[in-house]
Amino acid sequence: MWSGGPAQVHPHVFAEARLEVTVNPDGTVKALRNLWRFDDVFSSTVLMEFDQNSDLKLDEAELQEVADTVYQSLAEFNYFQMVSRDGKDVAMAPPPSLMVDFQDQQLMIIFETTPKEPLKLAGKLAFGVYDPTFYTAIDFAEDEHMAVAGLPANCTRSVVRPDPDEILAQNQSTLTDAFFNDPSGNNMSKIFATRLELSCGAEG
Amino acid sequence: MKKTAIRVVFGLLLLTYLLTHFLGHAHAQSSLGIGTNEAMVPSTGLFSGFMNWVNAHQQSFYRSLTGALKAMRQDGGKLWILVGLSFGYGVFHAAGPGHGKAVISSYMLANEVALRRGVMLSFVSALLQAATALLVIGLVFLFLRGTSVSMTDATWFLEIASYVLVTLFGAWLLWTKLAPRLAGKLGGAAAHSLSAASAPHVHGPNCGHSRLAYRGAAPGTSSGGFSAEVCEACGHAHLPDPKMLAGDRFDWRSAWSAVAAVGMRPCSGALIVLTFAFLNGLWVGGVLSVLAMALGTAITVSILATLAVTAKNVAVRLAGDGRAGNRIHATIEIGGAALVLLLGLVLLTASLQA
Repeated sequence: MWSGGPAQVHPHVFAEARLEVTVNPDGTVKALRNLWRFDDVFSSTVLMEFDQNSDLKLDEAELQEVADTVYQSLAEFNYFQMVSRDGKDVAMAPPPSLMVDFQDQQLMIIFETTPKEPLKLAGKLAFGVYDPTFYTAIDFAEDEHMAVAGLPANCTRSVVRPDPDEILAQNQSTLTDAFFNDPSGNNMSKIFATRLELSCGAEG
Repeated sequence: MKKTAIRVVFGLLLLTYLLTHFLGHAHAQSSLGIGTNEAMVPSTGLFSGFMNWVNAHQQSFYRSLTGALKAMRQDGGKLWILVGLSFGYGVFHAAGPGHGKAVISSYMLANEVALRRGVMLSFVSALLQAATALLVIGLVFLFLRGTSVSMTDATWFLEIASYVLVTLFGAWLLWTKLAPRLAGKLGGAAAHSLSAASAPHVHGPNCGHSRLAYRGAAPGTSSGGFSAEVCEACGHAHLPDPKMLAGDRFDWRSAWSAVAAVGMRPCSGALIVLTFAFLNGLWVGGVLSVLAMALGTAITVSILATLAVTAKNVAVRLAGDGRAGNRIHATIEIGGAALVLLLGLVLLTASLQA
């Protein structure tokens, strides 16, 4: 089931997501590969809205239009990514483009981002993918859907799924403050996101 | 007595405030850039527990709803599941954030509206909302595909129009409540005696105050059209029965603007369901589902509006028939009108900023 978000807003869009973190030979993060497969119902809205020639299919130009629209919009939300090392946010470069496809009546979006500065696999790294506005529910159905390719031996990987009820109960007042200080919710919502955590010990 | 009265007034205002506090919802371009999001002011305070419960249900309904749609694509017999779920979604959607119930409730607080009529208003506005959704998707599906007008644009336009109407409606409502009092203060005895004379009439507080005041309202507001009607009704207010009908007609006219203000903004859930249904050729399913949603919404809005009016009546009764009672009555009415105006402005601002 859908697993996050303060109950104030309900998502209108559901996406099955996969994240793959790739690692350079020198032990730095190479890229984050994202794949989102959107639900049938939202996908049909997209079809309706972007089907310029009314053939009930999205051809290349129309898909490009979808890609551009989503790309522009996602830029405002850091492409739904949250990366941190030892609790500090890590800046990610925007993806050069989005790949958009329509398969089995489902919209798919694929893109890849890289850290702005070299990001060493050391300490505690967290990778979250979420929509801070809760419009889209990004679902990682299984822990394996957040993967690392070429994880060094000194790192352990875990997937954390925060329990929204628990968070709400524990942080009622902080969340209230956060809402009013930051109506866009960009800062507070990350604690609800399913995240991939890597703990890397000293290299040895 | 007076103390109780004041307490009741504040209690009521607080209640209305709380009831509408978490309705601060506005258009927001969705994070994906496709479709519209309903950005909301968080629900905190007394009702947050209840609201969270409502939202949790709404979410699971929405999920089941999309599941039922997919199931129906394979098996037409699943239609009734979809209709049932849509009904449930409507009930919970209206209990959650939304401007419909705020406008209808405030309208009913601000006016002498019989409960039965208020319930009717809720139903009519919910049905209009369903009709708008059908119209939008129908137009998009049949004509607008392939044009530069997207569904997101169309919805946004309707939303702005709806909020403009809510604002104008609130302004007009507030004016009709305040103007007679101002006129009474400024114009002195004449206006006062008029209002006193009309007191036994059912529409007493709204009616018969000052013709001038209503006339004054005419040029500035979109609702000016029926200001003459008001004057006429009031002019004859002391004649027997048939004139009540004139009063009735007035109610309906103003009620219609409330209905239009609410119904013009289609609910996003309905739009999504319809889009999917139409694209998959599930015509009957889509229409029935949206109607069921409207029915559910209407029931919830009716209940909430009834609660608001009952609370008002209790307050007025507690305060008695004297001056305190009148004052409470007036305060609630003016408060209700101000609330509609405020709500319209907040929504409109947020919508235009998006």
